[in-house]
Amino acid sequence: MPLEQVLNTVRQQIQNDDSSVQVWGLFVNSVSFLEVLNRSLTGPVSSEREFDYKVAAKLREVVKKYSIKYDSETLVPSDDSLADNLFKAAVEFYADVGTYCMDTERIIRFSEDEIKDAIRNVRHEVLFGEGNEEKAFCARKPESSDLPWCHVGAGIGATSEEILSKLVEAYASIPETNSVSVATLMDVDGIPIRTPPLEVYGSVRMIALAHEAMRRAGRPGLPILNLVSTAASQIAGIAVSTPQFQIRPTDGWLVPTFPDLKVYNDGLTKVAYLLNWGANVGSEYTPLIGGYSGGPEGTAVVTVAYSLNAIMVLKAKYHLYFVSNIVDGCSSSRDALWATATSGQAISRNVQVPIIYLAYQAAGPATEMLFYEETAALLAEVASGLSIETAHPAKAALSDHILPLESQFSCKVAHAIAGTNRHDANQLVKTLLSKYERNLRNPPKGKRYQECYDVRTGKPNQEYLDFYRRITKEIVDLGVDLELV
Amino acid sequence: MLPSTLIKIREDLNNFNQNAVMADVEKALGEGICPLDIINILSDTMREIGEKFAGLELFLTDLMMAGEAMKAALNIVLPKIDKADIPVKGKVVLGTVKGDIHDIGKNIVGALLTASGFEVVDIGKDVPATKFVEAAETVKADVVGTSALMTTTMPAMKDLVDYFKAKGLREKYRIIVGGGPVTKSYAEEIGADGYGQSAVEAVEVVKNLIERKQ
Repeated sequence: MPLEQVLNTVRQQIQNDDSSVQVWGLFVNSVSFLEVLNRSLTGPVSSEREFDYKVAAKLREVVKKYSIKYDSETLVPSDDSLADNLFKAAVEFYADVGTYCMDTERIIRFSEDEIKDAIRNVRHEVLFGEGNEEKAFCARKPESSDLPWCHVGAGIGATSEEILSKLVEAYASIPETNSVSVATLMDVDGIPIRTPPLEVYGSVRMIALAHEAMRRAGRPGLPILNLVSTAASQIAGIAVSTPQFQIRPTDGWLVPTFPDLKVYNDGLTKVAYLLNWGANVGSEYTPLIGGYSGGPEGTAVVTVAYSLNAIMVLKAKYHLYFVSNIVDGCSSSRDALWATATSGQAISRNVQVPIIYLAYQAAGPATEMLFYEETAALLAEVASGLSIETAHPAKAALSDHILPLESQFSCKVAHAIAGTNRHDANQLVKTLLSKYERNLRNPPKGKRYQECYDVRTGKPNQEYLDFYRRITKEIVDLGVDLELV
Repeated sequence: MLPSTLIKIREDLNNFNQNAVMADVEKALGEGICPLDIINILSDTMREIGEKFAGLELFLTDLMMAGEAMKAALNIVLPKIDKADIPVKGKVVLGTVKGDIHDIGKNIVGALLTASGFEVVDIGKDVPATKFVEAAETVKADVVGTSALMTTTMPAMKDLVDYFKAKGLREKYRIIVGGGPVTKSYAEEIGADGYGQSAVEAVEVVKNLIERKQ
């Protein structure tokens, strides 16, 4: 039997049985996490500034070479060759540039062969949740009618434990919820949380409150995928990530990569801990138009490169990302929508990993503009092969500025538009843009949870319900086939 | 009509070519061009570059390279001028708060401030309050600027303001805050002197704070 056939047979066996990956490491030809750590210590030396300049220069080169062009009128392109060229540009870029380790000041680099091999062997689905809530989060493709995974909630600050509990209970009560994003607790017994020891106290309390809230909603097995939101430091996040604090390996942890393509040993430590536990590592990335990656074209390429970093360096099983620009600070501008759609298509067509996209809206809760922005973002995301996280009003900057009915709206729209083709999505996105674009730099702040809901009962007040019905009818009239409340 | 060497300085700075700018400045001094005229052409060009960046015609690394070229050029020309004649708009110490390592916003503000003629002392990321005080005292800053990108690190801003008070230095420096989750009302609540919603706005706030201080 020819050698190539032997290797392919072995690879197939390994894909069928993950436990054999370590034993057959030589044949799989993927780069282990230990090897990643080794390369962080032995890779080429560079200053951070030199790395940033190299990123910018190489991005300019590949954008030109692969003719990646931003079209401000086609925000959800239907051109598969654009998506595939974007992917090729990202592979060439990432193989040349790599990932920068801030603590060792060295570059972790991979060859194109290693990258392509890792993509061939990447997992296309990940299991989350316990008991009745155990569910596979699967990768999607552009225009797929497969329902997107709905990651519900936000790490937006909650000014009281009562509000945090009511929010999580409401998220868990939404039938479409597949996973929960828990609010960040801002203080412990009145002491603002801002040091690792306080983060530990706050996180333990947050997790306990979230689990009790999910139990009250009848869904105790739901996974939390934004661990650990109350712990800004990795040390606190690791400290509370144990079963004695009700954390389960079937939850999900977000490990950040910093702009652009930079990691710290703190984050790698968290990965090491989670991999040894068999827990679900998630990669979080936040490409910024106008930052080191330049305009929308460079940012779209670097976004795809971040997905390669997630696979190669962080060994992530799921990804979560959002694109914004430095001027508007949200995901709703034309260039951010375009970069979202094109990067989403490039990744979902060529890498096939479970991805959640998180859109930050400029407008606050209980405003028409929020609904226009969120619907536009969801169209770009879902039609491009991504799964979703629900709305993040007011750029997630204001505490208590989140409403469960708006999270439910996100889920219902995402499900309703699954299967929409990219051309139709683009037309509707442009219609919605015309309704909100001019207000992006001066958006309405919206209202707090307490102004729209009864904190004691967790029910929306009549004024807000009337508004919600009116705005969702408007969205239906625009062409989104939503079931009205 | 500008001397050709000054035109060349402008061209090379627009191309972010540090070595060329430095050589041009040496040549201009050798030709007897007034050092203040050299500084003016550098400042005017940097301001234009800053405006192009704010309009996203240029990108962050372009702005940073231009800033570095300008600093290198100033290192050559400033020793030729009497201290009293040096046009410095003000000194700003910048850093991200303790616990926060997100620094791209700070870097953008720093680059724009440099482009606008301020002297910027960047003390990095995850900076404790003590280091902010130390840097401000050492360089005799006019403004201390700090940013946070997470709601969980924002409270360190209040700690910073309180620390300056505790050291009896609160009235000596103007403190400006910014970053994703930070708002004007939060800045007022913690007793900061200014808030910038965007990097461009931050530069205007710094200008106004220094003018009022003078």
